[in-house]
Amino acid sequence: MNNRQAWAVILTVLSLFLARQAVFTASGSEELLNHGMVLIPGGVYQPFFKGENDAPQREVHSYLLQKYPVTCGEYLEFVQANPKWKRSKVIRLFADEQYLADWKNDEDPGIETPGRLNQPVTWVSWFAARAYAKWKGMRLPTSAEWEFAAQAGFDSVDGSGEPAFVRDLMRKYSLPLPEIFPQIGQERPNFYGLHDMHGLVWEWTVDFNSALATGDVRNDTGINRVLFCGAGALGTVDRSNYAAYMRYGFRSSVKASYTIRNLGFRCAKDCSKAR
Amino acid sequence: MMKLFRRFVSDPGILSLSLLKILFLILATLTTFSAQVQEVESVKKKELPPCCRKPSPATGFSDRSIYLLESQWTADTGNRVQLGALKGRPQLVAMFFSTCEYACPILVEEMKQLHRRLPEALQGQVDLLLISFDTERDTPEKLAEYRKKNQLPVKNWSILTGNADAVLELSAVLGVQYAKMPNGQFSHSNLITLLNANGEVAAQFSGLDFSDDKWIQTIVGKIK
Repeated sequence: MNNRQAWAVILTVLSLFLARQAVFTASGSEELLNHGMVLIPGGVYQPFFKGENDAPQREVHSYLLQKYPVTCGEYLEFVQANPKWKRSKVIRLFADEQYLADWKNDEDPGIETPGRLNQPVTWVSWFAARAYAKWKGMRLPTSAEWEFAAQAGFDSVDGSGEPAFVRDLMRKYSLPLPEIFPQIGQERPNFYGLHDMHGLVWEWTVDFNSALATGDVRNDTGINRVLFCGAGALGTVDRSNYAAYMRYGFRSSVKASYTIRNLGFRCAKDCSKAR
Repeated sequence: MMKLFRRFVSDPGILSLSLLKILFLILATLTTFSAQVQEVESVKKKELPPCCRKPSPATGFSDRSIYLLESQWTADTGNRVQLGALKGRPQLVAMFFSTCEYACPILVEEMKQLHRRLPEALQGQVDLLLISFDTERDTPEKLAEYRKKNQLPVKNWSILTGNADAVLELSAVLGVQYAKMPNGQFSHSNLITLLNANGEVAAQFSGLDFSDDKWIQTIVGKIK
């Protein structure tokens, strides 16, 4: 094969590859237009917390994630279309007494407050979040998917190497809860274009109740042993990752019917279409 | 009598022949009939686990009843059920998987012990329920084997398997933490839940040692 032929082959392969990428991106942005979602290309995720027998890395497949947490305005549409999720109608098994506690009534999140409809919806249970996602033809992200997307910095898929990002993260996690929640999308988005992954509200994941199930089946998955004992911390991959530490602690302490002032959610979707 | 019989045999007249035929017919009918009766009784006698009996006439479920979950389950007997069928009798519930080597056998043994240690009058009132995490491997057949191997009487033990969504929902309601490991085993909380007759969580026991009598007192106190 002479040089010319070799170049021809290389160029063909390259153009085929680029064409494929273009199709991939195009269908990805189509999704974005439809659902306000961005494509999170799959990759390898190092679980922050793991048991002795767990694989050190977990693969996360490509998926779509909403750019913003679900807002009060969006949730209002949901309760209007699904009356059994109105505050006065909801079944206690699926949401505790505080469900939508900051709403004026069944169908008023407090519309007269400027920007209220663009605040993230909170005081929602796991069941409520799941029902919303299902109604929209989506689902809740898994903890692995969420954490994978959340570890991106401003400029790369792994924010732990970006001092500016780490500083910003620490600032956000050390802030007290604001009196009034800011509207969504006020802060700088991460590498994928996701807003408010940190600092606005905590978010439900579909398998929130797997946070403390470690690889060692012989032990009860008690919070004392695995999270707060000195020895327990050895199970973590990166002990300086306080933010992840807090999220795991949080997930492991909530129950599916709990509603909390700073706990909201965003939806995910498989991206078979984009493939 | 013998005389009569000999007469019939020696004198094969039309009359005696028909008499014999009639005798045969009656005998045959009787045999088939009794066989049928036996069959009906054996079907009747094939006992079903609590989950698969005719549910008590439901007047709806309370706001906190886990029987509000509408998920479908399959019992080890092959019957398709909803949890609401268990309404009316308190249940000791645990989530498990049949190929579990360490914690689950202890958990199931603890359930047996808890039940055995109840006052005799209450033993007959409280049922036991096992639900599998392993949606792939724990088929009804596997669970039936598990029942046999662990000698869990049909009289008061129900064993169920369901799809991944049903398992996730139930575990979320019960507060059971679990995750599937790469080796196919499940890591999970060891939790026994007492449901009252309405299917509401009345008490939960965490761990693998319930030898203390306080657990019995709790159960007795909650279902009385």
